[in-house]
Amino acid sequence: MTPVQLAELLLFPGLTFFVWLAFLFEWLERKTAARMQGRLGPVVAGPFGILQPVADFFKLASKEEIVPSESDPFVLRWGPALYFAAPAIGIAFIPVLGYQSVLYHPLDLLFMFFVLGFSTLMAGLLGYASAGRYATIAMGRLVVQYTSYEVPLLISMVTPAVLAGSLSLQGVAQAQAPLWYIFLAPMAFAVFILASLAELEKPPFDIPSASTEIVGGWMTEFSGNALAYVKLTKNLSYVFLSALAVTLFLGGAGGPVLTADSDVQALAYVCYFLLKLFAVGFLIFAIKTGLARVRIDQAAKVFWTVVTPLSLAQLALVILLR
Amino acid sequence: MMPRKKLGGALGEMFKTALEPPVTEQYPFGRKVVAERFRGRLDVDPVKCTGCSVCEVVCPAGVITMVPVGKKTIGSREVEVKRPSFDLYTCISCGQCVDDCRFGALTLTHDFELAVFDKKSLIMKKALQVGK
Amino acid sequence: MSDAPAGDRKETGAGLMQYSPEGMMPFGPVHPSLKEPEYFKLILEGEKIVQVVPRIGYVHRGIERAAQERTWVKDIYLFERICGICSFAHSISFTQAVESMSPFEVPDRARYIRVVVAELERIHSHLLWLGLVGHWAGFDTLFMWVWKDREHVLDLEEGITGNRVHKSYSTFGGVRKDLPEGIGAKVTAELGYIEKRVAYYKDLVQSEQTLTVRTRGVGRISQDTARKLSPVGPLLRCTGIGRDVRTEDPYAAYDEVRPEVQTSKDGDIASLLVLRLNEVLDSCRMVKEALEKIPSGPFKVPFPRTVPEGEAAFHVEAPRGELFYFVKSAGGSVPERVKIRTPTMANLLTATEMLKGQTLADVPVVLTGMDPCFGCMDRVSVFDVDKSKEWSLSGEELRDYGIEYYRGRRG
Repeated sequence: MTPVQLAELLLFPGLTFFVWLAFLFEWLERKTAARMQGRLGPVVAGPFGILQPVADFFKLASKEEIVPSESDPFVLRWGPALYFAAPAIGIAFIPVLGYQSVLYHPLDLLFMFFVLGFSTLMAGLLGYASAGRYATIAMGRLVVQYTSYEVPLLISMVTPAVLAGSLSLQGVAQAQAPLWYIFLAPMAFAVFILASLAELEKPPFDIPSASTEIVGGWMTEFSGNALAYVKLTKNLSYVFLSALAVTLFLGGAGGPVLTADSDVQALAYVCYFLLKLFAVGFLIFAIKTGLARVRIDQAAKVFWTVVTPLSLAQLALVILLR
Repeated sequence: MMPRKKLGGALGEMFKTALEPPVTEQYPFGRKVVAERFRGRLDVDPVKCTGCSVCEVVCPAGVITMVPVGKKTIGSREVEVKRPSFDLYTCISCGQCVDDCRFGALTLTHDFELAVFDKKSLIMKKALQVGK
Repeated sequence: MSDAPAGDRKETGAGLMQYSPEGMMPFGPVHPSLKEPEYFKLILEGEKIVQVVPRIGYVHRGIERAAQERTWVKDIYLFERICGICSFAHSISFTQAVESMSPFEVPDRARYIRVVVAELERIHSHLLWLGLVGHWAGFDTLFMWVWKDREHVLDLEEGITGNRVHKSYSTFGGVRKDLPEGIGAKVTAELGYIEKRVAYYKDLVQSEQTLTVRTRGVGRISQDTARKLSPVGPLLRCTGIGRDVRTEDPYAAYDEVRPEVQTSKDGDIASLLVLRLNEVLDSCRMVKEALEKIPSGPFKVPFPRTVPEGEAAFHVEAPRGELFYFVKSAGGSVPERVKIRTPTMANLLTATEMLKGQTLADVPVVLTGMDPCFGCMDRVSVFDVDKSKEWSLSGEELRDYGIEYYRGRRG
């Protein structure tokens, strides 16, 4: 790996870029939700409170870490690192500068399946290792929710791959240059967004972390540094899933070529990507703000009786019409 | 009649609210104007107070203690002159003392910022100064 | 659990296994969805609740005993602090109980003013409750909106009484201050806004599907169960039993400003939502009507500091249901005995019945459904055996007294 590749992986458009985006997303989420509810949202740290998530992160990270006596201290300490690793590796495969991603493999869409599954597995493991009662209940809910949303999520991700005839993210993004797949497979996009809400544990599917029922869900026993990273990971997953939606359905970073200068054009691509990313992010904020939480049995019912058939129908339609 | 079922029925209202100015009051930077008859911190007019002790009797929270400040001769009798001292940290701002003060010495101000670091700074001994 | 009564096990049909510590979920006393400390031992079967054992008394403050140490006037302010939300209901209940023992007649204007403030309080209490249901169903947006609108009512209350929560407004012989100049127009304008918003919320809670699936059929109690467990207030009315103290035994000016008793049939949380919102609309109408009809004249009569010897029982319709006060005077400057039964106390058993068969996810919504006010309730302890000599009236005697009291009143 060359130093340039390493810099790309760690700085731009790799990890650092996406971590800052994760902070920005949290700020946007809080700010838009606040405005929609007639509130102000964060105002103190930085202009318009934009640095509030960063401040929160460092505040949490500097706090005392309490390890419950019945928990597994090893998993509690190192589990968040693995949990963080899942979206952190996933984002490296997202093409941001044009159709080039930092890491590439012809079958990397399949790797995304693994990343998404691994993320949930780690969440469950962390909850289980912390040995709290609320965490145990949350674990059960997490597993039920996972089994319900995973199938439609994967099918909705396969749909663009079928359309593009490629199993790599770059290939799918490139194939959308003439027409975005959101227009060819709108139902798949809708299913993807719904399943993302479940994956991200946001309303109406914030069942495993429902604060009014089971305190902090599987995060209840976490504190200090570990909690800071768990929360950062959730935000990073948020960005990661939005970026996946952009790549799979909104043409990735693609857009009109403005200039022959490749550096300037790369900047334009980043701008396109960010615009689409924020559009998807905003869609998720709006859905999340406007809905109540459903019960776990209702969520499972919705996913198995409505969302999964819908995604299958879309896939069948796509295969037939291709 | 049951309204028709819909999903995301709050969305329209959400965007409408987002365009309206927020209702949040940024408290330390801007203060809300309280109502005319708002009951805030208690205040005493030392000149009007005669030391009759009614307020001490009626106070439900035990805010008021009468403190002897001197002696006075009425006719042939020598009586003790008392003035109220207020422990405002226990005050519940009910205003019963204000209602019962016949001399109009007590008032409830519009000041609601009674959080202090030192409890002693909420002991009001203003009336003791003019004890005659 | 060892302390679960043996009879309960048979009743629910749950085996011993469900009572093992693994199947037990503590809910409270410190829990984010309980704003006041209260402990519910939930016996779970997976996520399903098979048994609920409430334990009350965490915020017992000995207020009834404290009342015997203070003068009558001081007690108004003490009782007002039993509850932060329905403080005015407590103060009018106590003041009217005491007034009924004395020969002084409360002026008409004061009676109307009491209706105005009590109904404003009902509006703000119900709106608070609606927001909390939204919050506990995971719908924070509804919570924020409703509480934003509730501020308007609180501002009105502050304008009339001088404070948002602890109004300290009702006193023996009337109210402490007259209505401010020109409040009528302001109240009408603000209530117009509230009515518009409440109509929207009524539509929203009935149509928004994520909310209806969480509330419809949840925490259902049948009319028979309600008759058996005798809850009060909206919890009783949502089963279709239209009982309301305001119409059955009018106090203040409720005989002239008549409420329309709202009922709904289903007895679940969804019907409670509609019921309470209908009550808000009705209260808005009553406030306006009372302000139109209000007679001029004095708002207060002078009242002595001692109360003649005697006993009085008085009940009012607090936002949460029937609030009962028993006051006994020995003719002195302090009450001999005051006994209070708050609505939450009456509703608690019904709430535990509502919880059975629900899932853990429904606990906050169902518990909110009863609009709990544990701070009110824990002022008394049901397990308490009163040994004090001052309390010489047995339950039977109190019942007989109640019957006699009403007979005398109606006849």
